[in-house]
Amino acid sequence: MALLEVDDLRTYFKTRAGEVHAVDGVSFAVDRGKTLGIVGESGCGKSVTALSIMGLLPPSGRTVSGSIRFEGRELTGMSQHELEDIRGRQIAMIFQDPMTSLNPTLTIGMQIVETMQRHLDLSRDDARKRAIELLDEVRIPSARQRLDDYPHRYSGGMRQRVMIAIALSCNPKLLIADEPTTALDVTVQAGILDLLDELREQHEMSMIIITHDMGVVAEAADDIAVMYAGQIVEQTSAEELFDHPEHPYTEALLGALPQLEAEGVREGRLTAIPGRPPDLLDPPPACRFAPRCPYASLGDSCTKEPPELREIRRGHLVRTAHPAGERAAREVEVAAR
Amino acid sequence: MAINPEEVEFRQDVVDRETGGDTYAAGAAIRQASLWRDAARRFTHNKAAVVSMVGFVLLLLYVVIVPLATPYDPNNVDFSLAYQAPSVHHPFGTDEFGRDLFVRTALGGRISIGIGFAATIAIMVVGILYGAISGFVGGWLDNALMRFLDALYGLPYLPFAIITLAIFGVVNFWTMVIALTVASWFTTARVMRGQIITLKENDYVRAAYAIGARWYRILFRHLLPNTLGVAIVFVFLELPNVVLGEAFLSFLGLGINPPNASWGSLAQDGYTQYLSHPILIVIPSIAIAWLILTAFFIADGLRDALDPRTQEHY
Amino acid sequence: MLKFVVRRVLWTIPIILLVIFMTFWMMRAIKGSPFRKSERAVPPAVLANLNRKFGLNKPWYVQYKRYVVDVAKADLGPSLVLRNQSVNDIVKEHFPVSAELGGLAMLLSMLVGIPLGIISALRVNTITDYTAQFFSNLGFAIPSFFTATLLIYFFAAKWRFFPTNGWDTAGSKVLPVIALSLFPLTYFVRLVRGQMLETLQQDYVRTAKAKGLRWRRIVVVHVLRNSLIPALTAAGPILGGLVTGSFIIENIFAIPGIGRYYVTSVQGRDYSTVMGITVLLSVLIIVANMFVDIMYGILDPRTREARS
Repeated sequence: MALLEVDDLRTYFKTRAGEVHAVDGVSFAVDRGKTLGIVGESGCGKSVTALSIMGLLPPSGRTVSGSIRFEGRELTGMSQHELEDIRGRQIAMIFQDPMTSLNPTLTIGMQIVETMQRHLDLSRDDARKRAIELLDEVRIPSARQRLDDYPHRYSGGMRQRVMIAIALSCNPKLLIADEPTTALDVTVQAGILDLLDELREQHEMSMIIITHDMGVVAEAADDIAVMYAGQIVEQTSAEELFDHPEHPYTEALLGALPQLEAEGVREGRLTAIPGRPPDLLDPPPACRFAPRCPYASLGDSCTKEPPELREIRRGHLVRTAHPAGERAAREVEVAAR
Repeated sequence: MAINPEEVEFRQDVVDRETGGDTYAAGAAIRQASLWRDAARRFTHNKAAVVSMVGFVLLLLYVVIVPLATPYDPNNVDFSLAYQAPSVHHPFGTDEFGRDLFVRTALGGRISIGIGFAATIAIMVVGILYGAISGFVGGWLDNALMRFLDALYGLPYLPFAIITLAIFGVVNFWTMVIALTVASWFTTARVMRGQIITLKENDYVRAAYAIGARWYRILFRHLLPNTLGVAIVFVFLELPNVVLGEAFLSFLGLGINPPNASWGSLAQDGYTQYLSHPILIVIPSIAIAWLILTAFFIADGLRDALDPRTQEHY
Repeated sequence: MLKFVVRRVLWTIPIILLVIFMTFWMMRAIKGSPFRKSERAVPPAVLANLNRKFGLNKPWYVQYKRYVVDVAKADLGPSLVLRNQSVNDIVKEHFPVSAELGGLAMLLSMLVGIPLGIISALRVNTITDYTAQFFSNLGFAIPSFFTATLLIYFFAAKWRFFPTNGWDTAGSKVLPVIALSLFPLTYFVRLVRGQMLETLQQDYVRTAKAKGLRWRRIVVVHVLRNSLIPALTAAGPILGGLVTGSFIIENIFAIPGIGRYYVTSVQGRDYSTVMGITVLLSVLIIVANMFVDIMYGILDPRTREARS
């Protein structure tokens, strides 16, 4: 049994204009000790998926259907009270912007200690000691002195490390990192990713990394799910994804699209994908990527019916009418005639 | 005197929204065209704002039209008609001198709202000028001007206005306008200065400097037009304060002399008879409250409408 | 930290001097004021007294300096109207009344307003919230002379629970305090609600939730602290509002406070009293603002550390 199993998750938001299908049928599993990377552009629903797992949706959002099972327990029906026992203790989450994710009027020490006092039975002194150990682990220099500093004395990178320390403080089984490096300088990013990887191994944690940056998941993830417009469009191991991407969107993300001059296929490179994702208020009854897809043409089935997520190879799922493998096969066909 | 607690942060919020997240790369003109269109659309979607706008306009129509259309002389004393209950002939009844309250309230509105608008505009002009100069020039001048403002904040509102009126010696429409302006302009000045300073740091201003634009062009073409939206919101925020201030002064007997009566004087007159004929104080008070409420929701709607960023995040 | 406090306190001095200066000049500008060289429409005995006190024949800067020194010595000069009373006497007699009225009103407005604001924010967009919003909107739109009149009409005149005016018995204090507190109350409700709503949106509240902290703790430790501190900054405008309101309330309830006395002084052309009370109120407001600034600086660690 996997540590976390998400099955056909749908999370919708009520807005003045109608109901937005932010997450529309997402399924995946995370095994113990493994890292799943969820990749996609802004607004594709990756963060909402994470928030759904944690039960941290804003009042306008709710999980309408689907199941989220953590260690076999169903999370979707749980009350906030029950979820509060799981958050921070079994599943921890770190967020994108370290500058605003810490309370500016409380010391760093307080914010680490309060988590431990909530979930573990530690005295204040023990908790403080443990907090210093944690700060050392995340490589904050002079941890003992800095414990009682306020957040504004820490740089962005250091604050993110503190967030990681807080997340690890109660030894969670799963860590969800939502764009952990996006708000940081490039020079600092690598350090954070390395740290996460190291700690994951040491603490035998599973991890979900959410990002829009393929480079981030290339190193860190065991498995990758590519999301677009609220759905998973490709899902497989990291190796397989980088070696044999199938979905046109994945290819675009990887920036590698060979120039094809065969009939019926548009020419040119697709490094920046023109166009925007569809309006999730009323998702079109067709492939959501079709308008931007270089391979879709008017008569294709994908413009009339949404493609299903199918297993194109063992352990490799894709949701498109034009997977790379079949395109290549057609190429050969055409060339052979 | 700020009657709305959110006012200070409200004003700062309007300033922040107007300037923060500004991604328009082109100059002031383009920014405005789409801004107004979007703003109008957003405003009309705001129910409270639209209802208030209607209410506000109705009030304005009332004070303008009724005195023109009424068959009654608002100053005609006829004791035989005194204290009549509201009826078709006299929708608000009559007062102790037999004067029609409906038209007197309308006339009172002309004075109260007139003073309100005049003072508000004066406050805007003085405030913007002071704030713009202080913010734009910066340095020691800014410092000195702001210190002076700090001192002005110390003078309590009513006494300041009262003394100013005493200096003039006579209380009429214009002296009242000036007195209220003098007592209220500094909050606006401070906020405008803050806005100018924030705008000055904006990239498109730097760009303008970089291509060699002169300071007056920057000020008039880029900085001031962008304060326009903020200014309009402030008009509707400041108007209630001024009207209330005038009402208070009149209520205390320091207002415009009879027979011209503002809502405040009408209220004061009504107060002397509150036990026997409460309607005489009820009507002008409701009129004042009507103005304040509608103006506030309009200001709220305008602020949201002028926010260039979208609201829904998920 | 100490440097910050000292600096803030010292800054108050030039501001007070400036305020006295402005008041001084304004008094000289009023027609009929004995401070104007041209018109000294005052009986000779009083004039002699004033001359001694204010040095009216000396050049203006000497007058000003004298006045400042006197203010520093807490001596506000003689009254122009009440022959054997000085402004100080008047102030001593009437100011405590206003202070009590204002203090009680402030207390009541905080005791009711702050919790209401908190509850509104926590139950945002529910009936509770809408009701609180509705009443607080009414509260700031309806002029205080009207609410005071309403209170008197029902509770004093019709039902006779309380007297209609005066400030002697405990019962007589109820209505005026309520009437004066209504405006600051609505102010607090709106302010606290707004602050809390904003704080609830902050990222660090989301972090606190993600840590699995109990909601009650999040509200008390994370949200309330950060919301109530900015609410302090309202103290300035609220004090101003109380001063303004007291003029009206004292007038309506015939309370012998300083607001009421100010108006009668103006009407009675008792200019030295007018000047004295204006300076007193100004100093009060400036000092109160100074306290608020200092408190804010102490409570908010960011400003505290930035300045030290």
